[in-house]
Amino acid sequence: MKNEIKQPIRQRLKKGLKQGLRQEPKRGLKQGMIFTVLILMLVANVLPAGAAGSGDAGESFPMSKAELSDAIILYMKVLYLGEEGELPEAEFLAGAATAYLEQATESDGSVLKIATPSVIKSASFIGDSSLGVFAHLSNPPLMKMDAEGHLVGQLAESYEVSENNTQWTFYIRDNLYWSDGEKVTPEDVDFSIRYYGKETPWARWINDTLESSTVSEADNSVTFKFNKPYTRINLEFATYNILPAHVWESIESPMEYVNEGPYVGCGPYYLELIDLNAGKLVFEKNPYWKGKAPAFGNVEVHYYSNVDVATLSLEKGDVDTYYKYAGSYPYPNIEQLEKAGNFEFLEKTNIGLVFLAPNLKKAPLSDLEFREALSYAINYEELVRLETLGYGDVPNRGFVPPPMEAFKETEKLEYNPEKARTTLEKAGYTDSNGNGILEGKDGKDIELEILIRTDYARTGELLKEYLEEVGLATELRTVNTETWFTLKDSYAYDLTVTRSTPWGMLMHASWGSGYFDSRRTGQGVMHNVDDPEFLELCDEILATTDPAELETCAYELQDYYAEELPVIPLYWNNVVTPFNREFEGWYADPLYGIYNLENFVNVHEV
Amino acid sequence: MHEAAKKTFRYVASFLLIVTLNFALPRLMPGDPVKNLIGEDVYVSEAVMEELRTEMGLNRPLYEQFTAYIGDLLRFDLGYSYHLHSPVAEILRERIVWTLLFVGVSVLLGAALGTLFGAYAGWKPETKANRLACCGFIALSCTPPYFLALLFLEIFAFKLGLFPFKGFYDVPTPGSIAHHMFLPVTVMALFSASRNFLIMRGSVIQEKGQLYALYARAKGLYDISILFRHVIKNASLPIITLLALDFGFLFSGALFTEIVFSLNGMGTLIYDAIIGKDYPVLQGSFLVVALAVLLANMLADLAYAIADPRVRRPA
Repeated sequence: MKNEIKQPIRQRLKKGLKQGLRQEPKRGLKQGMIFTVLILMLVANVLPAGAAGSGDAGESFPMSKAELSDAIILYMKVLYLGEEGELPEAEFLAGAATAYLEQATESDGSVLKIATPSVIKSASFIGDSSLGVFAHLSNPPLMKMDAEGHLVGQLAESYEVSENNTQWTFYIRDNLYWSDGEKVTPEDVDFSIRYYGKETPWARWINDTLESSTVSEADNSVTFKFNKPYTRINLEFATYNILPAHVWESIESPMEYVNEGPYVGCGPYYLELIDLNAGKLVFEKNPYWKGKAPAFGNVEVHYYSNVDVATLSLEKGDVDTYYKYAGSYPYPNIEQLEKAGNFEFLEKTNIGLVFLAPNLKKAPLSDLEFREALSYAINYEELVRLETLGYGDVPNRGFVPPPMEAFKETEKLEYNPEKARTTLEKAGYTDSNGNGILEGKDGKDIELEILIRTDYARTGELLKEYLEEVGLATELRTVNTETWFTLKDSYAYDLTVTRSTPWGMLMHASWGSGYFDSRRTGQGVMHNVDDPEFLELCDEILATTDPAELETCAYELQDYYAEELPVIPLYWNNVVTPFNREFEGWYADPLYGIYNLENFVNVHEV
Repeated sequence: MHEAAKKTFRYVASFLLIVTLNFALPRLMPGDPVKNLIGEDVYVSEAVMEELRTEMGLNRPLYEQFTAYIGDLLRFDLGYSYHLHSPVAEILRERIVWTLLFVGVSVLLGAALGTLFGAYAGWKPETKANRLACCGFIALSCTPPYFLALLFLEIFAFKLGLFPFKGFYDVPTPGSIAHHMFLPVTVMALFSASRNFLIMRGSVIQEKGQLYALYARAKGLYDISILFRHVIKNASLPIITLLALDFGFLFSGALFTEIVFSLNGMGTLIYDAIIGKDYPVLQGSFLVVALAVLLANMLADLAYAIADPRVRRPA
């Protein structure tokens, strides 16, 4: 029967098609094309609608708490006290109550969304460096940095260090619970620190130097004893996320442990999901969190491979704020976001900065007077204007930016080409043959090679211009990062431009010393200063935990930078963080910016 | 038979050369994978670096590394990623599925649209609509895919709010996947269609002037029959080559589109592996791409033989 009905239709279609093709071949082809385009347009319109959901399922009763109370009181008065008035329908009241409850649930399920260009490449909790930063929210480290740059306890209530700086005791807060209900114990802290030391290459120093550790149930503390004095443990322990021992002790190779979640955490939120294909991390409220209750049900970190798309997404309102470790919201996009009108901006000077490193092992850069002249040749204001679009400052000779602890106000760097020329002349660098290029003490023309990574190509161009203006011939050598590492490590340059990160400024003896101490190695470090005075200062800092002594040393170090100019800072840049006006309570710390626990419990809707 | 044996030998030799190059090329790049793994601002002792180098097998002489690599390949073991902390085969499997979904669909759509419109434009090149289409497709093919992708994102996601900005999905459902895939697939399909269109148009213009087309017309065949029965078959030979190329590089992903739409595909995998000096991932990815190119070439050879009897005929 089915065939009987279908057959004539098929035959008619076939016949029509044949006729159409024979009689109107051009029209048939055109119609086919139009049909294809229409189908594509239909798909384009139907799919988004389908994906967006089915829309409102029923009638909604938007009603505030007060309105709902009034309606119920009126209902009761009319019904039980016999007062006059129009009795609201029971169905209406039930609907309104349901709607109110739904609203209440929704507000609890509110989501704070953060956009970031730091892409999570692997669902490895321990192995992925970007994930390690974001996991501070679920597995906070023992210590943290406050807005002024002081190290204070986070999971640790307090800490103390022995006189010889080999023994560190951390007293753990008593009100911390893992998201599976277990209590956070000193054993967890002890386990985590040892675990990192054993399993991760970048924390192998723990394994090599940790002599013993003891846990005290009585005062909820853990004590680490090292085989040599360590004065920066409080800083180091501001970066290691604390793990639940009862979960991770059964995982043999944590670096190879790849899991999309959930991960047990002890912060206000725990990491529920790492979805690499959706490009997001989802944090959910820790039901056992005893601290200040966070205002949001969830926190989502959305990562974008392209920073321009991240900014578009923010402008569109898909996300509420923007975060990049050691980085700012792109300066060129700020103006557009300001025009959008929905955003406020948090602006703070970055403790990382861009600087010019001279090769101190080679003449003429080994000559202090030459470096002095060089510092006058650079137009810092123009650099600030062009590189930071005004979101920065001319730096001081003391290198260290103001937000760092124990910052000392040293002399501001000055652009004075005339002074640069005079200083060079006084120091014996003259143009005796009149070719416009100054000669070195060996009588040859000075030709400086500026080694540039592709990231700083424009800065390099500007520097070349500045130096040539005072009679120094320069050649730019732009190389990729890998080649830069090799050339920099073999001191095959005269000048080079690079940058420091917040962590980099704090590493080693802090205040940027880790970049210049010649005894250090590492891809990003210059290791170009072997002056005993500088090395001694570093050692002094590394030998003390006394705040007063540290401050004195920090001042001396900044004086050293200012007097000896082993490095010329080019500009201090600001970290600008936009956030949706609907939320308030943000602050930024010098190490991790806005991504700190305080924000996640304090930020709330206006 | 003799020809088939020669071809097989050629493919095997190519494969062996590819395997050797896959091993050599990543190691010719400047930089140290161990230092890269540690990062810029992290200090670790030389002893730890050496330990890592040993763990990764990078302290062994090159010939030993090569024999180990060949041995692993024979056991179908592609190694372990330094940065992604997973076996390479597992990473590739996951990325390939998603890459096929958006690059594969784009290539097919692009081929179908480009061939169809290109054939018609070549058949009637003088009409206004076809001239306009030709200009449009030339403009498209000249536009960098990165720019085109950003432009689409700006218009359809930002201004009109019709599509999301990133990812394969928000929740892993077919609707969400289709919604997220629409823009990247459209951009890539348009780009692919523009190339196919221009090639097909040129090819049809050339073929329709041939004697067999004239004979078909003299025989009384309608335009549509001449085009679709006779001309398109001969005109499609360059399209087969282009399709083979497109399919061959299907597994290399579409780097720029993946970056704009934040897609976790093969393009970004290879790019990140180059930046991170992740030798096992590079070796594995290059191998898959090379195999796909070889396979696509073989299929193109077969398709040529079907489409053109002269190829089948012994020389």
